[in-house]
Amino acid sequence: MNLELRQIVMLLGTLTCLLGVILSIRTARTRFDRIETSGQDVNMGITRLPALAFAKLVAFAALIALPAGAVFIANYHTFEGVHEVRGCASCHVMLPMVNDMRDPNSGTLAARHYKNRWIAEDQCYHCHSDYGLAGNLEAKMTGFRHLARYTSRTYHEPIEARVRFDNKNCLNCHAGTPRFEAVQSHKTAHERLVSNQMICLNCHGQAHPTSAQRTPGSNDYARLMEKMK
Amino acid sequence: MRLLHWEALCAIVAFALTLLFVLVPGPYPMALFTFIAQPLFAIVAIGYLSKVLADLRRQGSL
Repeated sequence: MNLELRQIVMLLGTLTCLLGVILSIRTARTRFDRIETSGQDVNMGITRLPALAFAKLVAFAALIALPAGAVFIANYHTFEGVHEVRGCASCHVMLPMVNDMRDPNSGTLAARHYKNRWIAEDQCYHCHSDYGLAGNLEAKMTGFRHLARYTSRTYHEPIEARVRFDNKNCLNCHAGTPRFEAVQSHKTAHERLVSNQMICLNCHGQAHPTSAQRTPGSNDYARLMEKMK
Repeated sequence: MRLLHWEALCAIVAFALTLLFVLVPGPYPMALFTFIAQPLFAIVAIGYLSKVLADLRRQGSL
């Protein structure tokens, strides 16, 4: 049996949550004062425990240990699952970017990177999360803000990026390669590119469909908003 | 006396929302997990620990 990490997370998460619900129901119904006075023991197979100690163990598992496990497992989807293109496309406002990226006839930067397999997987996250711990945390916090805006429907189409794109995301892969170094303007503008005074898109065209294309009612809107297959 | 009644009920709600997110990881289950289930688990932990502390004080262990 060949299980993927995602399936293992689902299986473990389901078991943890179901066990948590069962033990929480038991804890909610437990009358600790009655158990204390009854003085009974509970047979656990390998040992016998006083009923009160057993009830306290169950309460600890239900209210501390299993919630910690459930949060840890479920956050796999929050911190790892969102690396996948599918994760980005699950919000419909991102469909224009993903559909365009997968369109073999599109000439945008994202589409060219995708069809030429310059980035093999997790294409969105590769270009939109700055490398390093601080960058990643910042990207996560931005993600939480987007999640709140999306689910509360407090956004307007076409969506606009609030942060300035960091050239480091491009230079991490391109800088130092023979093709990059062979271009004279890259050498001339090196300082301005590194300090983000000049953006790569100035010369290399649109990364994604334009705001006009993503505006509801435009000629391209219906095509860009098609549900992913 | 059901000493941990409301904490357990909150935990049940939080586990149910977490289970939904684990099985269907879309934006709405993610929002429910992030903004409701996780804070609920934190409130449950605080409620539980405060009662454990009160119990320890009552027994004279602290």
